[in-house]
Amino acid sequence: MTSWLISLAVLLLLSLGGALWRVWRGPEPADRMIAAQLIGTGGVGIVLLLAAATDWSMIDVALVLALLAAVAAVAFAKAQSADSVGDPEEE
Amino acid sequence: MKKHAASARRVIFFLVLWFVLSEGEALLVGAAAVPAASWLSLRLLPATRPIHLLPLLAMTPNFLWRSLLGGLDVGRRALDPRMPINPGWIRLPVDLPDGGRVALGGELSLMPGTLAAGTDRGRLLVHVLDKDQDHARMIRIEERRLGSVSG
Amino acid sequence: MADVVTYFMTALGLGFYLAGTVAVIRFPDTYSRLHALTKADNVGLGFLIVGIAFQADSWMVVARLALVWGLALMAAGITAQLIARTALQRQSP
Repeated sequence: MTSWLISLAVLLLLSLGGALWRVWRGPEPADRMIAAQLIGTGGVGIVLLLAAATDWSMIDVALVLALLAAVAAVAFAKAQSADSVGDPEEE
Repeated sequence: MKKHAASARRVIFFLVLWFVLSEGEALLVGAAAVPAASWLSLRLLPATRPIHLLPLLAMTPNFLWRSLLGGLDVGRRALDPRMPINPGWIRLPVDLPDGGRVALGGELSLMPGTLAAGTDRGRLLVHVLDKDQDHARMIRIEERRLGSVSG
Repeated sequence: MADVVTYFMTALGLGFYLAGTVAVIRFPDTYSRLHALTKADNVGLGFLIVGIAFQADSWMVVARLALVWGLALMAAGITAQLIARTALQRQSP
């Protein structure tokens, strides 16, 4: 079981190369952020697979990674708004 | 009265969260962390209407099923060599308070073919993967379900 | 028996992840890519977590796995709206 879980984690890590390609190509800032979020969700999956293969306390790492990805998206939206601090819904 | 019930639910949420995170240990730290987190959370986002647990649980199986369909739908379109997507926008008025609108938008973003992008003069902006499908009827149903969860 | 469920569910999860990555590479516009990221990846994570939960040695581990999933779903729903909104500000629909 351990080797199966580790192989899946490696495959998942390799697939994130596709996301890196999208970060590189863009073209919009939002496209790059989408790819970064893909790496975030992929990272959560990888850490969880490693947690099951080695040590369950790594679940906390996955938890923090998931929360940080959400914070990154909020920071991105704020930085992209007209005055760099605002609510993206303001007119 | 509604406000108190809503605030109490927030505190209970943080209590359960602490219990799960700490695996039932470090209760002394929790005794400080839970009130502090509750205070900060209620200050940043005052509770107005309580969340009802039963309607929330009742809509969960349907939500999970439809988000599975959402994943299948988008995966099928991505892997099909012809890549059948026909994207477009729809706008429709929603009759939910602000928090409910965000929840509806988040839910729609996980359902097949729809993606919310906030509101424009009170109308929800929804991006759809196939503009020939009838999404408006489904959105109405989800809106009604969510309306019963909070209030 | 639990192992069979784990093999099946984690493989399925990986499949959804791969489909999501393919979509982010292939889909022609920002919003369509956002659809793919939000839906396929979270279904993938969901299957992965269900599969892993069958290896858990205590209910507390299952509860924490469920917590990761719940937070990831909530974050995905909100992130998708934020990024879509941000993209809209640069180009009107």
